[in-house]
Formats: sequence, structure tokens, C-alpha cells
Amino acid sequence: MHIQAIAIREMKMGFRNPWSYSFMALFSFFSLALLLINTQKFVQGFSSTTATMLNLILYLLPLMTLLLGSFSLTGEKEEGSWRLLSTYPISTASFINGKYVGLTFVLLFIISFGYGLTGVIGAMVGKPFDFITYGMFFVFSALLILLFLAIAILIGTLAKNRWQALTFCVGIWFFMIIGWPTVLVSFLGLLPYIWIKPVLIVLTMVNPAELVRLFIIVKLGGGSALGPEYYQWINWMNHPNGIFIFILVCVILVGISIFTATVLWERGRAHD
Amino acid sequence: MIKPVLEVRNVEKIIKGNTIVQSINIHLLKGQVVALCGGNGAGKSTIIRMIVGLSQPSKGEILVKGIEWRKSREGYAQSIGYMPDDYQFGNGLTALETLTFWAKLRGVPQKQVLETLEWVGLQEVRNKPVSAFSKGMRQRLLFAQALLARPPLLILDEPTNGLDPYWMDSYVNLVKSIKEKGHTVIFSTHQLDVAEAVADRVIFLRKGKIIQEGDTDDFRKKYGALGLHAAYSELMSHASKQR
Repeated sequence: MHIQAIAIREMKMGFRNPWSYSFMALFSFFSLALLLINTQKFVQGFSSTTATMLNLILYLLPLMTLLLGSFSLTGEKEEGSWRLLSTYPISTASFINGKYVGLTFVLLFIISFGYGLTGVIGAMVGKPFDFITYGMFFVFSALLILLFLAIAILIGTLAKNRWQALTFCVGIWFFMIIGWPTVLVSFLGLLPYIWIKPVLIVLTMVNPAELVRLFIIVKLGGGSALGPEYYQWINWMNHPNGIFIFILVCVILVGISIFTATVLWERGRAHD
Repeated sequence: MIKPVLEVRNVEKIIKGNTIVQSINIHLLKGQVVALCGGNGAGKSTIIRMIVGLSQPSKGEILVKGIEWRKSREGYAQSIGYMPDDYQFGNGLTALETLTFWAKLRGVPQKQVLETLEWVGLQEVRNKPVSAFSKGMRQRLLFAQALLARPPLLILDEPTNGLDPYWMDSYVNLVKSIKEKGHTVIFSTHQLDVAEAVADRVIFLRKGKIIQEGDTDDFRKKYGALGLHAAYSELMSHASKQR
């Protein structure tokens, strides 16, 4: 009941937040750019065009999610809202879960609007996307939102104010999205050969962007492009149980972030 | 024997080796209105924060209707209504939406939300965004929030801070009306006029200690028309002589 009330307030606040509309406009514009690419070269399955599109989504969505999510939590601290809610008969878990559910809804609405607009315009001009590929793009975006929102909740927990949250968000986004390949190559290069595969698996599991990107590439049939180190990944992801294992890993990643955030908020509640 | 609504027993607050609040004892009976008065750094807000459960005493205990925060957080929270002094409304919600949200968290029916808005005089502007409200209207909404579930104890932190005389008068009238309905109120203020106008009892604080307390009528009898102002001046000059 409390989760529902908090989630509904979050949605109302989200849809009255100018940032949400800026992101919606940006994402719609960006989706239309994907449509333009599609009109020039029909996108189906995995290709260099699909990879470019996935990378573009990967640059924009995690940053957008991190900012909206973490600002929402730091706002609760800065405005004194959490302090007041701490005197209410509600649990800290209800508060955090309610925020997560509400923000997920707002962000999913933003991407649904962007993809919906693109789909409608694509159909109107007679250049629609391949349905499966289009669906995969949506799943890819939704997964990025779910995973990065959990990280955003953690950032919002650790940051004292919006400025600090902004710094953390940009730093984490840069590390996980832009700097990751370089960090990975340089780090793995230091390891003995037999360690490379297991360490690569662990590192890929802890970076949601990389995990989701690999999963979608494999599902689009582009696994062979990843190289021999990833053959094991391709096998388990294509296995009938692969999707369940993938979902389990995602749930664990989200669970760890949300649980840690809840513990930290709880510790801050009346412990000074 | 009548059970007090609020019992603060030998409470101390020590932060990083500094004693912020020293051996405080406060007992409030049903229907009493008590003002915590003192200058900046007197410890008013620290005591208020401990009473609402935002901060825990280093020593002693605080009970509301016989419930201690540490033993039953939910039961304790249901017995209090808190009006903070530093709340900012920045989320674009209307007064009705804001109050409805708080009501849902406390399980208060919608009818009571509308009654409370009426009570604090915000019924006509209920559909306006709170961000467009004046300071006085925001204070009223926060007051409504504290009052929403009709808790036995209302705890108000500097409720008239930054308000113009018109809103101060309306605050005084609001507190008087809830007192008539049997609510118990404790509030902090550095505005002695407000304390004198609504409080049955006044507690003067200085450097985290109670330096004097008593019935407002007794202060009036002793100091005449100057009332609490004269009492406070005398206490402060006495305290500075002792230093």
C-alpha cells in the first residue's frame, strides 16, 4: 500500500518534471534518427547498422536514467521530504521500492513514446522497422533502464545533493560506457592467459551495460562478431535456459543495488 | 493517575563529545500546549528532533503515550504529527495531491483530507500547485499534514518562522482550535509573543539546559504586561552574570 502511494507520487512528480520532457524530446529525436538510418538501409538482425544503433542507445539511456533517478532521491534529501517521511509509519524498503517502481514507469513511458512515435512515422512513410529487431531495441532500452535505475538509486543514496549526484553519474557513465573497453583490455592484458576468461565473465556480469549489450547482440544473431572469448557466452545465452539465467543475473544486480540503498537509508534514519 | 502524552526523562544528547542537550525532563498531559523557547543554539530543534525520532538520545528515554521509538517505531509514528521547519515544496504537486499522498501513508480517508484543508483555510486553493503558494500557505499545509491523522501529540518546529503578523495570528488561532479539540502540542519558537499567545506552559532553554519553566499565567502574574519578554531578559542577564 505504501509502495503504491510512493510510486504514484513519483509518477506524478516525474510527469511534471521539465527534465522528463527534455529527455522525452531528446529520445524521440534520437529514435527518429534511427528511423532515418533504417530508411536508408533496412535494419534486420545484427549488422554494423544495428551495432551503431545499439551503441547510440547505450550512450544516451544510461546517462538519462542515472540523472533522473539519482536527482529524484537527492531531491528528497535536499527538500526535507525524507526527513518528514522518516517520522511516518512507513518502512524504508517501501520508500525505496516505491521510488524505483515509479521512476521505472516514468522512464519506460519516455522510451515507449519515442519508439511509438518512430514506429508510427515509419509505418506512415512505408519504411517500418523489422518487428523483431525493433522489439529487441525496446527490450534493450527497457533492460538498460531497469539496471541503471537501480544504480541511480544507489548514487542518490550516497550523494548528499544534486551536484554530487551529477558528478557521480557522469563518472559512472563514463567508466561503464565509454571507458569500459579500454579498462577491460588494459586490465585483462595484465592477467595470465588462463585467468582471462573467468575474469571476463565476472567483469561482464558486473557491468549492466556490457551484460545487456552482449545479450542483445547474441539474440540478434551477431554473437560470432564478439570473438572467441565469448563463445561460452553465446552458448549459454542461446541455450533454452539462457534467458532465465540472464534474467536471474539482472534481478541479482538490481536486488544488490536496491538492498544496499535500503540498508544505507535505514542506517541514516534516526541514527545521528 | 493520568498518563502523560509525552514523557522526556533525563534526556541528554552528546555529539562528538559535545553535550548539546543536558538532563531534560518534560511531561505533557492531554490538551496541554507547551512552548520551547530560547535563542539560536539553545537546543530547541535538537529536542524536537529527538521527540519525533529523527535523532536518538545519548542518555535517557522519550515516550509518547507510553511507547518508546526504539521499541515500536510504527506505534510511535502513529502517535505523533510533525511539522518540520525546513521543508521545501518543489515537486509540482497541488495542495490536495500533496496532502492526499501523506494521508495514504497514514491510512487517513479522503474525507478527512478535505476536512483538514478546510480547517487550515486551504480548501479554495487545494488544486493549485504548492510551488505557487506563499510562505504562510505552505506553513498551513505543513500544519495540515501534521494534523491529518489527528494524532495525540503534535510537534511543531519553529512553526511561525518567517511569517508575517497576519499568518502568525492565524497560526495562533489554529493552535487554539486544536487545543480545544483535545490535542497536545509542543512547539519550538524564538518568538515569545507567539509562545505567550498560545502556550499553557513555557520552557526556557539555554545551551541545551532548561533554565526555567512554568505556566504562562504565572509568568504574566510575575512580570505583568511585559510577560515572557521580561522573564526572558531577566533569565539571560542572570545567566550572563553567572558566567
